[in-house]
Amino acid sequence: MTPERMAALVARWVRFYTRELPAPIAERRAGEVAADLHDHVAHERAAGTGDRRIALGIGSRMLRGLAADATWRGRNLDRKDTMTRRSIVRVALVTGLILLLPLVTTLTSDGEGWSVADFVFAAVLLGGTGLLLELAARKPRSIALRAGAGAIAVAAIALGEADDAPGLVLFGLLLIIGTLVLTIRTAASR
Amino acid sequence: MPRRKPGTLLTLETEILEMALAMRRSGHASFHGFGIAHAMREQSASRRLTAHGTLYKALGRLEEFGMLTSRWEDAPEPGRPRRRLYELTGQGVRAAEQALAGRERTAAGPVPRISSEPA
Repeated sequence: MTPERMAALVARWVRFYTRELPAPIAERRAGEVAADLHDHVAHERAAGTGDRRIALGIGSRMLRGLAADATWRGRNLDRKDTMTRRSIVRVALVTGLILLLPLVTTLTSDGEGWSVADFVFAAVLLGGTGLLLELAARKPRSIALRAGAGAIAVAAIALGEADDAPGLVLFGLLLIIGTLVLTIRTAASR
Repeated sequence: MPRRKPGTLLTLETEILEMALAMRRSGHASFHGFGIAHAMREQSASRRLTAHGTLYKALGRLEEFGMLTSRWEDAPEPGRPRRRLYELTGQGVRAAEQALAGRERTAAGPVPRISSEPA
């Protein structure tokens, strides 16, 4: 087996044990191992080591590290669960805080406030969008998630304009700004 | 397998810190994964390089402990993947110096409690 084929096998193994992990963590590990493999092959070839021996060396490094790879994955999966819980709490808190304003207005006004259905609609819209943005932040390269957030924003602005609801238009504009910031951050980190 | 106490360093982690300190003293402030694995192999006169999984897990933990910082290389050479560059922090330097001092004390042997000189 050539060193390149063995390196490709290691890269496949890295992709396998980093699956379902948050993208920044998975991409960092894959990038580090790719650079390591390249440097390893280049160094050994420069030292005059034969291809078979280089391939065996790479395979040995992969095999000896399997246990560490598995424990590292387990620890990062635990971290992912914690991140998910935090995301849900964050979205719920922000949604609750935003809805406090119309709630106070409704309670203090004489029958001109929001109905229960309005609150449910707003909570679903805000919570759903918040979760979508959390997902998009975690998977920054997913164009589908960003496109989804953008579509909700455009729909909110259109509905807000048609229904004379400035709050909905503001929400749409903020969502567009959030999506743009996310896109710029992703582009800058590449 | 028994869990290690939080904050304690494994032998490999201590070796990485000591090697990083040696490289820093020789003018190489930053290092990358294969570079440190290769340097440790040379130092220990071993035939084997540290395994990928063990090495990058240890580097990650040292970064979590605040002993290393890391960043991606700005402009890699064409045709070569960019490397993740690590640097010792002040805390890492202190930990490496302590580990080295401990090793030197161990190598020097136990200090005699009674003077060996004739009275």
